[in-house]
Amino acid sequence: MSPVRVLARALTILLALWVGLVAKPARAEQPVQLWHAYRGAEEQALVEILAGFEGEVDVLAVPYDAYAAKLESSIPLGEGPDVYIDAHERLGNFRERGIVAALPFAVDPNQYTVNANAAVHFEDQVWALPLSQKCLALYLNTDLVSETPASLEAIAALAASLPEGVYPLAYEARGAYAHAAVLAAFGGQLFDEQADDYAFEGEAAVRSLDYVKALLDAGVVPEDADGALVTTLFAAGKAATVFSGPWLASDLGDAIHYRVVPLPIVEATGQRLRPLLTVEVALLSPRGATNPEAIRLIQALAGPEAAAIRARVARSLSARVDVPSSEDPLLAAFAEQSELAQLMPSTSAMRSVWEPANRAIRKVLRGDMPTEDALAEGRGRFDDVRRPPPPPASATPLVVVLGLLSLFGAGWLIHRARTRSGLAALRRSLPAYAYIAVGTIAVAVLVVLPILFGAGASLFAGKSSEMVYVGFGNFREILTARGGSLLASGSFYVVLAVTVLWTVVNVSLHVGIGLVVGLLLSRPAMRLRGLYRVLLIVPWAVPSYVTALAWRGMFHRQFGAVTGLINAIDGWFGLSIEPIAWFARFSTAFTANVATNTWLGFPFMMVVTLGALAAVPKDVLEAAEVDGASRWQRLTKITLPMIAPTMLPAVMLGTIWTFNMFNVVFLVSGGDPDGTTDILVSEAYRWAFTRDAQVGYAAAYAVLIFLLLLATSRLVDRISTRVKGAG
Amino acid sequence: MVGVRIDKLVKRFGDTQVLRGVDLDIPDGAFAVLVGPSGCGKSTLLRLIAGLDRASSGSIRFGEREVTELEPRERDIAMVFQSYALYPHMSVRANLEFGLRLRKTDAAVMQARVDEVAKMLDIGHLLARLPRDLSGGQRQRVAMGRAIVRRPALFLFDEPLSNLDPALRTQVRVDIRKQHDQLGATSIYVTHDQVEAMTLADRLFVLQAGQVQQSGQPIEVYRAPINCFVAGFLGSPAMNLLDRELSQSDAGWSAGELAIREPQAFTQLAPGREVVVGVRPHDTSVCSDEHADLRLHVDVVETLGPELTVHGELQTAPGRAFIAALPSEHAVRRGDVIPLRVDRLHLFDRQTTRSLR
Repeated sequence: MSPVRVLARALTILLALWVGLVAKPARAEQPVQLWHAYRGAEEQALVEILAGFEGEVDVLAVPYDAYAAKLESSIPLGEGPDVYIDAHERLGNFRERGIVAALPFAVDPNQYTVNANAAVHFEDQVWALPLSQKCLALYLNTDLVSETPASLEAIAALAASLPEGVYPLAYEARGAYAHAAVLAAFGGQLFDEQADDYAFEGEAAVRSLDYVKALLDAGVVPEDADGALVTTLFAAGKAATVFSGPWLASDLGDAIHYRVVPLPIVEATGQRLRPLLTVEVALLSPRGATNPEAIRLIQALAGPEAAAIRARVARSLSARVDVPSSEDPLLAAFAEQSELAQLMPSTSAMRSVWEPANRAIRKVLRGDMPTEDALAEGRGRFDDVRRPPPPPASATPLVVVLGLLSLFGAGWLIHRARTRSGLAALRRSLPAYAYIAVGTIAVAVLVVLPILFGAGASLFAGKSSEMVYVGFGNFREILTARGGSLLASGSFYVVLAVTVLWTVVNVSLHVGIGLVVGLLLSRPAMRLRGLYRVLLIVPWAVPSYVTALAWRGMFHRQFGAVTGLINAIDGWFGLSIEPIAWFARFSTAFTANVATNTWLGFPFMMVVTLGALAAVPKDVLEAAEVDGASRWQRLTKITLPMIAPTMLPAVMLGTIWTFNMFNVVFLVSGGDPDGTTDILVSEAYRWAFTRDAQVGYAAAYAVLIFLLLLATSRLVDRISTRVKGAG
Repeated sequence: MVGVRIDKLVKRFGDTQVLRGVDLDIPDGAFAVLVGPSGCGKSTLLRLIAGLDRASSGSIRFGEREVTELEPRERDIAMVFQSYALYPHMSVRANLEFGLRLRKTDAAVMQARVDEVAKMLDIGHLLARLPRDLSGGQRQRVAMGRAIVRRPALFLFDEPLSNLDPALRTQVRVDIRKQHDQLGATSIYVTHDQVEAMTLADRLFVLQAGQVQQSGQPIEVYRAPINCFVAGFLGSPAMNLLDRELSQSDAGWSAGELAIREPQAFTQLAPGREVVVGVRPHDTSVCSDEHADLRLHVDVVETLGPELTVHGELQTAPGRAFIAALPSEHAVRRGDVIPLRVDRLHLFDRQTTRSLR
């Protein structure tokens, strides 16, 4: 075996050990394990189906966001489920990772719809059993619209007859998932035929985007709508029609009268909108494929009785052809729509299409860029993510360096043992080593190993299953912005500049506000200061992601508290300040992030200030007072210089925390607009988890962050020593 | 340079009255010492004079100037704190210059004054150091220098020697007095140490329970304490206080077994009057047995060098402690009974505790 492979193998084993430590220990012979990410009515339907299954089943409902990661980490270790349920578009990825087995029994294709069959057949094998199908369709509010509009233009024309404040149409126009339906009406696609390449370009893409932009500009469709807003608008009667999936029906009560029909045509082309179709499938893990009970379970899950239960309880559209759906008009409508839909591809390349496509769509709809340019940029982004990994490098230099290091280390040890009666000294110190052993082991396992592991991973490229040693290739690519302009959006240097700005602004605000509040609270004359202290520490005590999500909600353009405040101010003072689309521009999105993080960060500085102030003797301040210092002079010439040595380490800590404040950036602006508010850690996260799982590349980012922070803290240490020396 | 005049000064903290109408009159250029046990209000009084706290009522005047409501920096004072309160982040030079800088003093003048003070206090070699690199005595001198360099009209000292070891204390005490005489500015000095009080003061003010009990030259106060408290507080070892009844016989007036040898020094002598008799330990001497006023049963003998401090019980009143200070040539041992003559005594009314003098 070559040294490279040995190293790669060692890394894989380390990773496996790591996950193994975290995962649950293996159990003995046990019931069939079933995992799913269902909630609500769909989960109820599953429970009912399992109640009718003869045999013991352990069911685990995994939160959707963690689902894929849990599957990918547990199944290769022989842990995890025997049977699991997921959307078919993950199948390609699951097959690459070997966490799904081809079905070890024959399946009659005539039982399933064409799309469902296509979703599970690969290389002449069937990889999963289809359960249900989901796609977008047109919901009509029958109180607002009596006749089904024949076309998108007819829906736009509803504007004239609708009451004030009601949108003719609402859908997630800014997302590629919904836009794919419009794109199809113009003859375009997000993916090419083999679904290996990005196809969101060319005339169809341009026309479709310009068309949607016109709809937004005309006020037919609300801007910046996400799924929750679409639901809210329709449920409140504020949208006459929406594009949404079967999930919307379960969110609507009886108060809204609606009908579901297939998506309309676009008169400009005469073509129909064709949504993307997802097939929910049940899969067998390699372990499950050898378990007759698991096979029996998966067959029961996909059987006609189960489909009937699912249709009744969760109103979900079966992938089987032998389950009648015409009794429920909703299911009938979705059945009709699903035959007109385009099946979502399940290749791994498909997963890299979304981010560039979403960004391009947002840029066009926001009017930031001409359509052609935005699409070209999207293409570039896709290529950037899918670019080949750096060329494999020879591991010889690494091996030589490591060898020399170990040789040197061994030599040093021998040298020590020989001279200065090293062995005797060692023996004398043995009890001391025993005392620090536990701490050393803990630090080694919790701190040193992960750092070494991360640093090691940064020298590799490719998927985690097939990492190739590339030496400093990742670093070279990052530091040269992958051959692009060093000042292009998303280049390391631009992100670094944003991160530094983010850190400086935040830490200044934290320290400024923390100092002022701390100084106010330290005045003994203040009443109720104990209460204020507790109240002001609260932001710190609340988990940061809770706070971040709350602030994200407050900055919502239409329904956020900030907009409510602006409206209230408008009302009181007769002004007409427009609500701000916080996440549409860098300045406002950055401000929103900073506001959130300041709220989170100042209590720490306040507490540190209070502690530092407690150490300033009262009589020194009185001496200054007698010496003739005014209140301000006492603050600037005595108090601040005296608390500075205590504050500096806290400022350093705050700097590191802020530099790496992933939660706020990821949850509040999410990098919007167009990734400009991303900082280094959130950028690293995207490389690791959304852009084709380039773990090595992300690790190289992490190593650079580590080095930057190390250098900064050394620098601050120097400064603080000097400050202490002077003060 | 100003005199200080304080009228009916009252200070309350919530319901607690710390100063209950204090009157002081300190002449221009005097060295006034406020002395009293802890909690008597002497530090509070000093803080009111400094302006660090506000009076509840009453007035403070510096010369003709009413300063009761003024900020400390408007009062032209300097203060030396018990902890010295040096600015820990500044060098000694910066500490000295701080007040001058705030007054935008010309750089050359500042330099000259700092050098002058540094020479006077012998801290020239310390100017570049930080306070934490100084010994206690050096810090004390820097604190003094910081006060002197500003040339204020009034110096305030808040127990400035209590953090020094005894040997150093004596020396610095002398230095402080010397500097006062040299500078001629009015000084107010707070202490609980009666040796400092006696040695430093031109004018002594004895405080207790938020009031001035007695004021005057130290020796006057020592010789003629106005009440039992002052009598017991000043002097070391403390004055012996004995409850007795006055009686008159052919031999003259006496208080219990003690003969009053100079009745003309007292007023209001009446037979049967209940009094407190005060006898300073130094006002006793060993005599022949037949002339003895008291017989002391010796418990403990402390040898101080020039004199002995003899602790014991009066034979006439077992259980009553009594202290005598005797020349060290007497060989006194534990268990001895020594006859004592009282050369001089003080009489106080038992109810009012005021002196009968």
